[in-house]
Amino acid sequence: MLNSRMIEFIHVEREFTRADGQSVRAVDDVSLIVPEGEFVCLIGPSGCGKSTLLQMVAGLTAPSSGTIVSDDSEIDGPGRERGMVFQRDSVFPWMRVIDNVEYGLKCRGVPLEQRRSVAREYLRRVGLSHVEKAWPRELSGGMLKRVAIAAVFANGGKILLLDEPFGALDYVTRRQLHNVLLDLWDEPGAERRTVLFVTHDVDEALTLADRIVAMRAGRVADDISVAAPRPRTTDSLLRSDMVAIKHRLLTHLGLESAPRAGDAA
Amino acid sequence: MTGGANGRERFVAFGVFVALAALWQGLSLIYTAEAQPGEPMIAGWQVLFTRTLLSLSDYWQGGLGVPSVADGAERSYLAAALSVISHLLYTLARLVTGLVLGGGVGFLLALAVSWSRWSRSLVEAPVQFLRALPLLAMVPLFQLWFGATFLGQSLFAAYGVGVLVFAGTVNAVRNVPQIYIDHARSLGASRGQVYRTVILPAILPAMRSVALLCLGAGWGAVLGAEYLGAQSGLGYVIVYAQQFAFLDRMFLISLVFILCTSASYWVVQRLFARWLVWAPASARE
Repeated sequence: MLNSRMIEFIHVEREFTRADGQSVRAVDDVSLIVPEGEFVCLIGPSGCGKSTLLQMVAGLTAPSSGTIVSDDSEIDGPGRERGMVFQRDSVFPWMRVIDNVEYGLKCRGVPLEQRRSVAREYLRRVGLSHVEKAWPRELSGGMLKRVAIAAVFANGGKILLLDEPFGALDYVTRRQLHNVLLDLWDEPGAERRTVLFVTHDVDEALTLADRIVAMRAGRVADDISVAAPRPRTTDSLLRSDMVAIKHRLLTHLGLESAPRAGDAA
Repeated sequence: MTGGANGRERFVAFGVFVALAALWQGLSLIYTAEAQPGEPMIAGWQVLFTRTLLSLSDYWQGGLGVPSVADGAERSYLAAALSVISHLLYTLARLVTGLVLGGGVGFLLALAVSWSRWSRSLVEAPVQFLRALPLLAMVPLFQLWFGATFLGQSLFAAYGVGVLVFAGTVNAVRNVPQIYIDHARSLGASRGQVYRTVILPAILPAMRSVALLCLGAGWGAVLGAEYLGAQSGLGYVIVYAQQFAFLDRMFLISLVFILCTSASYWVVQRLFARWLVWAPASARE
């Protein structure tokens, strides 16, 4: 039975105090329900609060007011059930690739044989079997992201948080990693994980998401379902409904002034 | 070819070494002033490795079937070698005791106070105070507290090393990138696990510089302690020679000293190079 309220934001606010003493509301009264297995992209201009929202789900930051409930319990700190992939490289440079992938399993005492076979399986699926004994410094940026993704999937959390994970990568690598991520998420015979994916790239959101939440100045500005079937190709992004969504998102990002009549045609 | 470049670098280093030795020899020939009759201010190599080396037998305290000069024996190269080795061992014993004590206590204390922001701010001021205190200013105090004992000399070195290790470790822990800690915690690591698997390895590159710094401070502190009333050790030999203006002996012991400190630096560097296989080359060399 899937949880229809896998992540629930209830009037969540988060204030920061700037260096000059002024307080800034990064997240302002956000209420949102994410059902289990949904792939949600959070999009918005930089400083709109999307990363702060993600940090709060990860438990790395606490809301100033309001609550976030995940899988029926209130979040108060990081936990393995909510895995996070960061924008900057977070893979431990002092551990070999395979040790990085099995880190979470090791932390909770899974026996060596067992965690090693899980780690090997995920390394195979992200296409890194050949470098399991390598040090992270020997890997490219794209490969490091694959390691981070494998580590989070191997850890088995039901919720996956990605904070502009591919923002620093080149176009080709980014497209490859979209496929890697979707393949893992859409694994046949397994339950889909709930994904919150922060991005500022409209095409990335359209390629990945079941649902796109646009944010502006700390608030939810729009909440759009993306119905296009998967796998989405270049042609899917040219469908008229997708183009219409793109215009809506570009407007929220401040790149287009207002939706013009006929755009959706 | 890196091998070729390496070979060339070694050749240059060796050339500089020979040039320095030749320069010293040249100086000894040009500047022939004597501190006392038969005791040149600058002793050439032909003196240093014959008469001077032999004269170090004077500091051999006897034993191992080799009688001391004080007991009426002739000077010998064997006694000289035993003399250098035995005094070096005394110095090393003080150094190692000081490093282990000071390094261990400083390191553990630093990890303990780094546990929370609160405990770290608690010790911030006292540590700044201790760091600002010149080590050598503490010599008279340590002398009166502990006398000219092995314990006193080792504690003095431990103090010098401990303050550096403590400050260096607190600083290193503070500089661990938050992203590694966040990554570990979001994968389910407990606080203790974060310390063991993230903080400890992450501070290793910074601890390499701390260790090298401490080694230098440790040698300096031990020698300083020995200058002041020890009856053994390389520092004692230097001070004793100074009293009779035996400049050549002082110089020779200094060379032994340089050899030993260089060897100790080399050992520490090799150790860290092993532990830091994972780090980029710039952090290892």
